[in-house]
Order: sequence, then C-alpha cells, then structure tokens
Amino acid sequence: MLKNKIYIIFILVFALLMPIGYFTGLVPINTLTLWGRYFCLAIAALGVDLIWGYTGILSMTQALFFCMGAYGMGMYMTLSNLPEGQFLPSFMVWNQVTELPFFWVPFDNFSYALVLSILVPGVFAGVLGYFIFRKRIKGVYFAIITQAIALAMFLLFSRNETMLGGTNGLTDFKFFLGFDLRDTSVKFGLYILSLLALGLIYWYCHGLVNSKFGKALVAIRDSESRMRFTKYKVTHYSVAIFMIGAMIAAVGGMLYMPQTGIITPGRMDVQASIEMIIWVALGGRGKLKGAVVGALVLNLMYSVFTTVLPSSWLYILGGLFVITVLYLPKGIVGLVDQMKEKLNSMFVKTA
Amino acid sequence: MLEVKDLKVSFGGLVALNLDTFSIRKNELRVIIGPNGAGKSTFMDIVCGKTKPQQGSVKFKGLELLGRKEVEIAKLGVGRKFQKPSIFSGLTVYDNLLLGLDGPKDVFTSYFYKLASYDKDRIVEVAEKVGLIDDLTMIAGSLSHGKKQWLEIAIVMLQDSELMLIDEPAAGMSDVEAEKTGNLLCDLSKKHSVIVIEHDMKFVEQIAIEKVSVLVRGQMLTEGTFQEVRNNQEVIDCYLGSANSAQQKAHS
Amino acid sequence: MKNKISIFVAFLMVVIGWTQEVESYSIPLDTCVNVLLHKDATRLKEVATCLVTNDDIATYPLISAIVDKRLFVYKGTAVTKFPGDTLYYSVYPKLETISVQQEKLSEVNFPRSIRTKFNVLSKKVNLVHPNKSVREMSFRSFKTTGVLSDVDFLTSLKINEEEEEVLLAADEAIYSIWLHSNNAALQNKVLSELEENMNVHMLDPLLDYVALKENTNVEGKERAKKIIENIESREKTINVIQNLFSGISLGSILLLVALGLSIIYGLGGVINMSHGEFVMIGAYTAFSVQQFFIGFLPESWFDLFFWASLPLSFVVSGCFGLLVEKLVIRHLYSRPLESLLGTWGVSLILIQLARTIFGDVTAVKSPEILSGGINVTQGLMLPYNRLFIIGLTLVMVLLTYFVFFKSKLGLKIRAVTQNRDMSASLGVSVKRIDSLTFFLGSGLAGVAGCAMTLIGNVVPNMGQTYIVDSFLVVVVGGVGKLIGTIISALGLGVLSKVFEFFYEAVYGKVILLLIIFFFLQYKPKGLFPDKGRHSDD
Repeated sequence: MLKNKIYIIFILVFALLMPIGYFTGLVPINTLTLWGRYFCLAIAALGVDLIWGYTGILSMTQALFFCMGAYGMGMYMTLSNLPEGQFLPSFMVWNQVTELPFFWVPFDNFSYALVLSILVPGVFAGVLGYFIFRKRIKGVYFAIITQAIALAMFLLFSRNETMLGGTNGLTDFKFFLGFDLRDTSVKFGLYILSLLALGLIYWYCHGLVNSKFGKALVAIRDSESRMRFTKYKVTHYSVAIFMIGAMIAAVGGMLYMPQTGIITPGRMDVQASIEMIIWVALGGRGKLKGAVVGALVLNLMYSVFTTVLPSSWLYILGGLFVITVLYLPKGIVGLVDQMKEKLNSMFVKTA
Repeated sequence: MLEVKDLKVSFGGLVALNLDTFSIRKNELRVIIGPNGAGKSTFMDIVCGKTKPQQGSVKFKGLELLGRKEVEIAKLGVGRKFQKPSIFSGLTVYDNLLLGLDGPKDVFTSYFYKLASYDKDRIVEVAEKVGLIDDLTMIAGSLSHGKKQWLEIAIVMLQDSELMLIDEPAAGMSDVEAEKTGNLLCDLSKKHSVIVIEHDMKFVEQIAIEKVSVLVRGQMLTEGTFQEVRNNQEVIDCYLGSANSAQQKAHS
Repeated sequence: MKNKISIFVAFLMVVIGWTQEVESYSIPLDTCVNVLLHKDATRLKEVATCLVTNDDIATYPLISAIVDKRLFVYKGTAVTKFPGDTLYYSVYPKLETISVQQEKLSEVNFPRSIRTKFNVLSKKVNLVHPNKSVREMSFRSFKTTGVLSDVDFLTSLKINEEEEEVLLAADEAIYSIWLHSNNAALQNKVLSELEENMNVHMLDPLLDYVALKENTNVEGKERAKKIIENIESREKTINVIQNLFSGISLGSILLLVALGLSIIYGLGGVINMSHGEFVMIGAYTAFSVQQFFIGFLPESWFDLFFWASLPLSFVVSGCFGLLVEKLVIRHLYSRPLESLLGTWGVSLILIQLARTIFGDVTAVKSPEILSGGINVTQGLMLPYNRLFIIGLTLVMVLLTYFVFFKSKLGLKIRAVTQNRDMSASLGVSVKRIDSLTFFLGSGLAGVAGCAMTLIGNVVPNMGQTYIVDSFLVVVVGGVGKLIGTIISALGLGVLSKVFEFFYEAVYGKVILLLIIFFFLQYKPKGLFPDKGRHSDD
C-alpha cells in the first residue's frame, strides 16, 4: 500500500497538478521546463542505479553517455537549424572546413539521428565494457579507468579538430522538428515528453530488475565468483548492463538537448559523472525510486542554492557526499522506509 | 572421474601444493583432511579454476581442466562450495536457488526468462532437502551461518554438477546440524562424485564411508579408510605435533 | 687568427671613428645636447639632422631616450630610465647610473616630427642599451636587416662587450651579413667558423643561404647543407634530452603525489579523492608563509621563506589529512567505492574553502637561488627549480623507504596493510597506525604542493589536475607497492612528455590513456601484483 503511494503522489503532482497549474497560469512555463530537464537527468540516474546500485560497478562514464545522446540530438538540431543556403555549421566555417564531416552526414535525418544517438553510446559502452570486464577489472580499478576514459573523451570533445564545436559545444537552436522552441506550448510538449519517457524507462527498469537477469545483476554485486562457479558468464552480464545503462543515459541526454538548447564538453567531465552517482547514493542505491528521488532532489537543491547563495553550493554538495556515505547508506528512500518501520513498530506496541 | 598428476603450485617461493597423483571414481565420496595450510583449499581452487598451478595436469572425465576458465569448468560439471559461505546475500533464498538452477545461463535467456512450473518444483524439492523450505522469502544475508552453508550446498546441488567440491561444510554448525549435513552429503554421493574437506573428526567419521586422504604440507601423506588413517602413526604425529617423533629420534 | 683580424679591424675603426668625429661635427656635440634639453625650437630640426648624419655611438643612449619618450633633465644633464629598471642613468656624455632626487626631475618631450627623424638609426640605438638581453636582441635584428657596411660598426661594438650571449649574437649578425654578401671568401670564412662551432641560431641564415638563387658558390652550398644537417641532428638530441628531463621532473611530482596515495590505499583500502587537495593545501601553506615573511620579517630574509615552508607544508597538510581521517575516512576503511565518493565530497569542500580564503589565483615567488639553471650546452638548460624538485623527490622517496622498511613504525604499517585484524590481535594499535600513515601520506602530498609552487601558480583546484594521473600511477604500479609506484610514476611522466613532443598535448594525453588501458588488459593488477591465495569476494 505504502509502496504505491509514492507513485501516486508523483503522478498526481507532475502529470496533473503541474499541467493544471500551467494552464491556469499559476505555474510559469520555465518551472515546467526546469522539471522537464530534471526528468532527463533522472533518466540518466536510473542508468547509474542499474550499473552501480544493482550490479555494483562504479562507472565514471555515465555523464559521457548522457552527453553522447545530447550531442547526437544536438548534431541533428544544428543541421536542421542551418539558415537557407548554408550547408555547414558556422563553427566549421570558422575552422575552414569545406565539407560536412562523414559522421555528421546521417544526423541530417531525424530518424537516423534518433537511432544513432542511442546506438553509438551503446556500442561504445559495449566495446569499452568488453575490454575492461574481460580482464575482471572491477571495483576501484574500474572506477579509475573509466575516470581516465571520461577525461580523455572530454579532452577530445573539447578540440576543434573533432568537429563537435570545441569547448563552446553545440548551441543556438530555434527549431526542433519544425517547432519553434521559444513557443510555450512546445516547451510544455517537451515537458510531457520527458515525463512520459521517465515513466516508460522506469517501468522498463522495474521489469528488468525483477527479471532473472536483474537478480543475476544483484548476484554479481554480492558474489562475482559464486556467479562464475554457478556457470554464469559474468563478463557478458556486466557488458550487457553497462550497455543498457549507457543507452538509457543517452535517451536522457537526447531529451535534455532541446530543453536546454546547449551542450558542451563541460557536462561530461569526471565531476559530472560523480555527481550522478551521488544523486543515486543520496536517493537510495539499489532502488529505482531512489535514483529518481535523488536526481530530482539534488537538482532542485542545485537550482535553489545557486540562485540564493552561489558560493555555498560546493559546501552543501560536498557535505551531502560525506553525509550520504557516512550516515545514509540506503539513501533517502531507505531512511523513509526505516522511519516507517519504526512508526509501525511503535504503533504495534501501543496497540 | 578426476585424475590429478604432478600438480605443483607455489606462492612466492613457498610450495603450497605438490601432488604426485590423486584420483576419485564416479559417485565416490572422498574426504580430505589435513592441518591448516596443508593445501586442501588450494587443491580445490585449482580444480575449479580459481588458481593457476605452475605445472601438472588435472583431468576430469578425460578432459584437461587446467587453462580453462571457471565458467567452462563449471559447465563441464564441477561445482564448488567455499570455506567461507559464498552466497548472494542481497537476494532472497528463493532467488539464490533460482540462479543456481541448472539450465541455459546466458544473458538473453535470463533476460526473457519466465518461471516454469517444473523449475519451481525443483527449487522447492531442493529447499526441502536442505531444510530451507521455510526461509525461501528471507534475505540470504540474514540467515544463520549454518543455513548459509546449506544454501550454498543447495546452489551447488541445483547445478547438478557431477563433481562437487565441498569445503568445510560443517564449520559453525551445531552437532545436530552437522549430522544433517553429513546425511545430505552421503545422500548426494549416490548420484554425484563428492570431495569434502573437513577438520571436525566426528563429522569426518560420519561421512567417511569410503576413502580418506590426508594432505600435509602440500603432499599426500596417506590414503585409506577412516580407521586406517586414524591409526596411522604419521597422521597422529602430524596432528599431535612431532613431539612423539622427536622423542623417538632422541631414543635412537 | 680570428682574434688578430678583429683586433686589426677594431683598430682601424677607432682611427676612422676618431677622425670622423673631429672632421664632421657641424655643430659641437655639447651644443646639440643643450639645444635638445632646452627644447630650443628654432634649432631642433637642425640638431636632429646633425646627430643623424654624425651617427655617433656616444649619442645612441640619448637618441633612444628621445625615440622611446623617456628623456628627463636633471640639473642640466640628460637622464633616462629604462623600462623594468628602477635606476636612473645619465645618457650623455657617458651612459652610467646616477642618483637623482625625483622631484627635481622633469620630462623632456619632442614632437613626432622630431622623433621620426631618428628612425634611420632606430635599429642601432639599442646596441648600447644597459640591459644585455635588449642588446642581444638588437644585435640579432641585424641578422636579417644588416648590410655589409654595418659589419665594421658591429665589430667595433664587440670590443667593449663583456657578455658572452651578446658577443655570440654579434657574431651571428656578422656571419649572417657575410653569408649574404656576394663575397665567396667571406662566405667560406663563415662556413669554416661554423663547421668548428655549431650555432643553432645560424640555422635560418644558412637555410636562406642555401636557398639563395643568385648564389654561385656551389661548394659553399654543399658545406652549408652539411652544417645544417649537423645542427639539426644536434637539435634533435637536445630536444630528446630536454623532454626526458621535463618528463622526469613531471614524473617526480606525480611520484610525490602518488606515493602517499598508494600507501593509504594499500593500508586501508581507501581511495582518497581529496588527496589532491592536500597538495593544494601544501601550496597554500607556502603562499601563506611567503605572505608572512613579506609582512613581518626583514626583506633580506625573504629568500628563506621557501625553506621554511617546505617542512611546514608537510606538517599542515599532514594535520589536514589527520583531520579528514578522523572525521570521514575512519568510517570507510575497506570500502573503497564509498570512500571514493565521500572523499570527493571532502575535496569539493576544501577547494571551495581555499577559494573563499585566498581567491582564484595566487603565485609564490621562487627563491633567488632556484632561478636560472645549469647551461649544459648551448640550447640545453636544466632549470634549477626542476632539478630541485627531482632532488627533493629522491630524498622523500628515500625517507619513505627508510620509514617503511627500516623502522618499527614501517613494520607496523606493513603489518596492518597485510592483515588488519591479525595486527590488531597482535597488539598493534591499528587506529594509531592509520592516523600516522595518513599523516605521512598527506604530508608527502603537501611537500609536493610546496614544490609545485616553483613551477606554477597556486589555484584552488590545482590538486584536481594531478589526481587522475596519480591514480593511474597507482593502478599501473600495483596497489601498495613502493617500487611499482616509483617506476610507473617516472614512466608515465616521461611517456606523457614524449607524446606531448610528438603530438599535441591533448592527443598525447589521449594516447597515453589508451596505452594504459591496453597495458591493463595485459596486466590487470599492475606492474607488481600481489601474489598468493586470496579470496576475491
């Protein structure tokens, strides 16, 4: 009963109250867009939870995959927003490029862009994961190596020669699929789309973690060697969940793109990935609810504190890291569960 | 069933195991005893692929095991229970058993797995056998030490391995529990080959229906029935310290 | 031979110069100066023309002061002040330092029309500048602009020149002019000279010489090509050595940082992401000590600040390490992933703290004794500060080795590293050992930070630049292995400099990361893995 309450509240607030507020003019459209962005980040957090919370692999590349999705969408939007008669994005013109690089070409088509934005991070994660997991590099080593990979990719994306806009990234869009992005109804549509995507992916993850595959993931976290001696090819499972997590993050990134209108390499650095992990840790690792709650709460806090007291944010974030690790091993969701249990037992005693 | 020849492994110069020959038959129950550091667990580690020896050969059903990965060896039909219970502590007992259940274990089958009724029957059957039938919904990590041991044995049983390597199954068990475990192992040996490592002599006596091997300082000291081994002077020396032999040397 | 010729030429020059002076001053020099200082408008043009036509070295300081708008008059004498210099100089009759009372100084400015009159002399006037590098530069400018008629004049200046670099530059200028003359004899003379003493600065003139179409000296061209080849191959060697050297010095810093990291990880299974911030704290300690010396101690003591801050950095960073250990890390032993997240939080807090206290960028001035370097050969200089860092690292590594393998504390640390519970039951106070090890590890990072102030700015997030690399060092070396850490730190340092040399810095870094990635395919547990039976779970 209590288990379902949180879903009902979530749906009530975000699928009903918010839109009603918007239509009655009580809630400004920018608030909705802000929440739309949070939903995208929550999607990425779900991926982190699958990889880290369930399987116990601490990966520092989640923000990279998120950005790959965003860049894919960004490339499509860049090309579709080119003014009449211009065939190249302006940053390429400035860099004396005369022809569209080959890997940009398919992104001219929306459906190709859609598929590639998910597929490319997926394949990248697959190859990367295969090479790392094959050698049973895990735990801290995995974290450090993926951290190095994230750094390397950040450096590459920041270069002008890689034709991805350098440190300025991709920005300056007016239209998305022919819709004017400044139009409030388009913004509202994107909000609903993000909410739907979050719901669908949550539902998918829910099925996943309750399947035998999902149990196998937890089993790998608990005892990798037992899994091997029980005839499971742990490497395959690890690679599979790494890919799934990457593709989920990419979906988040793709939806994030039209709502922020800018993507830069700064979003994929090591810090960004670690922050995603702390969303999940604070919300409650190993629980899908935890990932969503953590992502929403922390991003809301970020927005509030950076406007009210900008210099305090790093103190708060740092403090949250420490507090979560030391005192909240099961996160907010775990804390709430614990409190509920205590209340229940008190209730039983008095009764 | 299992043929071991010239097996040698050392860790940083220290010879941990130096086994000339060792073999067991199909459906045999073999007990390996020996003092701490004799190389018993190392032997099992080698057979199931966890440790790589410097030289030697380990043949299972005529196939060389050395150089194969753990998963391959497990698929050939070697199951292993560890000294320290190795179970999936975050899952329920039922889920532990579900994962142990024999059958295709690749990613795709797991992904699209639907529970079949005969699978469920099998799980219940084994759970009943090891006495975990009332704990199926418990989280495995919260079980008592003895029950964890049983759970691990159950996982190995569900795998239906032809050769089971059981490392100290009775450790941390009460006498009643140990006896139950003993019976279980004897029962298993009717259909499987079983190798058991054990310290507790009372427990060894119960399960040593066939041969007992004594491993000392990495070498096979002797093999024989429980009575033979118990009366072997060398074995007694090893267990009681070499005080006797030192005295003898002094006399002569 | 060469000396004799130059002495002879110089002698000639003096004679000619002297006769020139006597003969051709239409207006006496003293008068000229007076006119200029009093800005006698009626005669200014005439005087300027006269000075230009006379082209006298003695007037160069005066002319350059006029052109650069830094001419003053002080008690009737012409005075100037060079940029970047606090002293005042009299410019005529001789260029020498002079003490002045600033309030009696008045500036003398001239209209553009007058200043431009001296333009023809502009490339020459700085040849007598008091600053040797300015002189060197203006000599070098003759390499491309000089003509045969300048040679005599340049040679005459060499007589009173004492600075080796300037003399070298003068030779280069003369050689270049000779090479570009149509005189084969002069050309061959230069080539013989260069065959004996290679000079990298002659590379461009030689290349021009070889490329020159009108040049008919075929034999000379061949000789020049040979010299070019030699110079280039020598350059390459020097480059390699230079890169190796900076690689080793980078490796040393990595080593200092990674040493503590590796010890701590080995001891408690703790990934300390805030380790980089202890580096930063060490650097800010040096900065604070510097500010203290500036504020409270006599100026002559200033150079001592760095030596005072070295041990202090160790202690301050060590204490911060201790604090972090007591507050956070103590609860996270043997939980590497949780410790990674928790200490990342600590690092965010420390960075923000530093930013709040010290602002964004500050710098520490290197002590005088560490500026400059050893000139191994022309074009190859090993800077003292980098040499010092290498030496410091060596000392710290030896000390660490000593503490680890020769002291009772080290024995206990190694015991706890191997088996925490067993050590505890044998009466080792594990908590105390943890704290002490943390103190040592963080202290080492602090020393690294202090050393890094010698080669870079002090910024709040300076630790972050090194933290990923240091972790890679630990991973590649094998966890908790002193020797592995040393080899991998130096290896990574050198490799990254080598790649930076061949490719651009970013690509070099990416290639290095790829290599590490594949190295770990081959040796997943690093260079020196732990051996023995151990359970994985």
